[in-house]
Amino acid sequence: MKLTKIANGCAGFAAFAAACALGAAALANPYEKYAGTTIVVSWPALAHFQAAETLVEEFTEETGIEVEIDALQYLKLRDRQILEMSKPTGDYDVVSWVVMWKGEYVAKGLLTPLSQYFTSGSLVDPEYDIDDIADAYLQNGGIVGGKKGYMPGKSGALYGIPFGAETSILAYRKDILEEQGIEPPTTYDELRVVMKQLGDAGIPAMTSRGRTGHQVTAGWLLHLAPLGGKIFDDQWNPTINSPEAVEAAQVLREIAQTGPTGIPTFGFGEASAAFLQGDAALYLDTLKIAAMSRNPKLSKIDGLVGYGLHPVGTRCGSETGGFAVGIPANSQNREAAFLFIQYITSKAGDQRMVELGGDPVRISTLMNNADNFDEYPVVAEQLPCADPDWRPLIPEWNELNVDVLGQALTEVITTDDPIQTIMDAANEKAREIMEREGYYTWASYRGN
Amino acid sequence: MTDRASSDTDDLGRPGFNIRSLNPYLFIFPAVLVMVCGLVYPVVDAFYLSFYDWKIGMPFETAPFVGLSHFKRMIFDADVWESIWVTIRFGFWTILIEMVLGISLALLLEKPIRGASVFRTIFILPLMVSPVVVGLIWRYLFDARIGWINYYLGMVGIEPQVWLGDAELAFFAIVFTDIWQWTPFIFIIIIAGLQALPSEVLEASKIDGANWWQHILLVKLPMLKSIIVIALLMRLIDVFRALEVMYILTGGGPGRATELLSLHIYNRAFDTQQLGYASAISVLLILLVFGLSFAILVFSDPLKEKSDI
Repeated sequence: MKLTKIANGCAGFAAFAAACALGAAALANPYEKYAGTTIVVSWPALAHFQAAETLVEEFTEETGIEVEIDALQYLKLRDRQILEMSKPTGDYDVVSWVVMWKGEYVAKGLLTPLSQYFTSGSLVDPEYDIDDIADAYLQNGGIVGGKKGYMPGKSGALYGIPFGAETSILAYRKDILEEQGIEPPTTYDELRVVMKQLGDAGIPAMTSRGRTGHQVTAGWLLHLAPLGGKIFDDQWNPTINSPEAVEAAQVLREIAQTGPTGIPTFGFGEASAAFLQGDAALYLDTLKIAAMSRNPKLSKIDGLVGYGLHPVGTRCGSETGGFAVGIPANSQNREAAFLFIQYITSKAGDQRMVELGGDPVRISTLMNNADNFDEYPVVAEQLPCADPDWRPLIPEWNELNVDVLGQALTEVITTDDPIQTIMDAANEKAREIMEREGYYTWASYRGN
Repeated sequence: MTDRASSDTDDLGRPGFNIRSLNPYLFIFPAVLVMVCGLVYPVVDAFYLSFYDWKIGMPFETAPFVGLSHFKRMIFDADVWESIWVTIRFGFWTILIEMVLGISLALLLEKPIRGASVFRTIFILPLMVSPVVVGLIWRYLFDARIGWINYYLGMVGIEPQVWLGDAELAFFAIVFTDIWQWTPFIFIIIIAGLQALPSEVLEASKIDGANWWQHILLVKLPMLKSIIVIALLMRLIDVFRALEVMYILTGGGPGRATELLSLHIYNRAFDTQQLGYASAISVLLILLVFGLSFAILVFSDPLKEKSDI
């Protein structure tokens, strides 16, 4: 009887120990609670994100969280995302935005601050190391607030993590420059000389975006920051008619004059295609051109491309752009969404993206893979002077970008009219918009 | 009269309600419902929205009421007037050329000549292609770098042109594309009209000794007037509605060289998120289309002519 009691006691203890072990095992898997959940991700139908689909499958396999992807053409994303995120309950759990939309999304209350998840012990992977993500990318794509409203600062908050982010580097045709006895340009003065030399030799020099609206503005902005220009001064007065801004427009005009035929109709795709198909000797835009040039479906110039830093003007300053991912305020699966974002932007996820043909956002990934890709050492060297403030990511930017600059710069590249006059008119128009949106209310109230 | 009177009275011959008197209203009810839901409601809603400064994504309740300020801004907005001017120029050239070409081809191919049916089938193909595809086809044909047009021009020694990147050439490109797409529409309508003309009148004119030109100018075209006016009216309305092809082909550029009013409204509404202001311009567009249609109908009165025939 006594033995039976002891045996029963032992069995009970064993059962209790087993239950504890199972409990401990459940706690050891941070994903288990969310297994079976389905999250919906909205992102662009671009190469980086197509490459990420394999990573997404691996995420589902590892975590049990199902992922549905809604991939759209990138300029169509915004309308769709805003419509979804404006509903009381939206369909999207993760959205990927072009960095210039972040201010608008936050101003409209459409995004969830990520701090509440980064302070959760059960959700945050201690090895995540957010400091390893390139500063310029994180500031540009993920932080809203600060003095300007779209930069770090005491009132800044984190809303997104860069994924598919980019900076600008120079890509050049090694064979053409070698044949012409030209060194790759490192400054804007050199760049302008090289463009003229190539143009005189009958070789289309540099390709660029130039289509009316967002595209031509993007082409011009690439040169504005390194030439020392800004869109606004500290009081939100537009400065797009400053000497630096006019010089950037002059550079764009020279590019259109010496580059491949049709620059005023080029969007990102056409501008890249001109370089990849061998119709231009120089390309100064996103680093994504490197992966594209290695893709035989897109490129005829694999192996002929060299990379250099974005040429320096009065300062070094490359663009920061691309995409970031965050969680809509009306998502019903925010914690699972956070785990997904953390997974794809973790060190392992970033490395996996490189293996899948995507672009890394972490410094460690760039350094670890520097021997495998020609452009990685250049990007790593470029990033410290990438300028997260190269364009103002305020809600009004879209109107300024498309309606004001997008029109004025088309005039710059399609006419011979004096650039100063064109930019003066654009500056006035920009001022009217800022006035209409109340940016000078406080100055007016104080009588400034 | 007796039947009608009896149908409106009860069994005792007293006037009263008869369910059959509702028949006409029942028959037109579906059409009225569609009109109210599909036309009246959006127009009224656009008018309502034009008094608010609302951006997509913001709750509408938070949108400030701005009264007539959008309309005031519109009057002084040079971009709006430029778009109207582009639309008028576009409409003038496309409708003029399409009418001349469509009517001429219909008159030429009216008779059962050899191969006419094959030509007619090929000729109306553009009408069957979706506007988005039309835009894409011509965008690539006009492409400065890889387009066939520059390729063939190059074969005869003409320098490549930046068709969609030069203000005048881009305008020519959208006019040309529209003519390619819509001339068959005029052709079909006119040829249908020609085949419905009363043969006795045509034979009488021949017996009276009218030559080919007189036969066309003095007999056929006057009898086709009502159909021509209706075709003109439909194309005019289409010009103000045109959006998809230009959106794909040029996006309104370079600058605003090809930005028709409808495209301008689209860009304001969705590119720059000024839905209230875009609605105010839409109201102007509706008034313009309504005014032009009304004027054409009043001056030509095609339905009256038809009933006269």
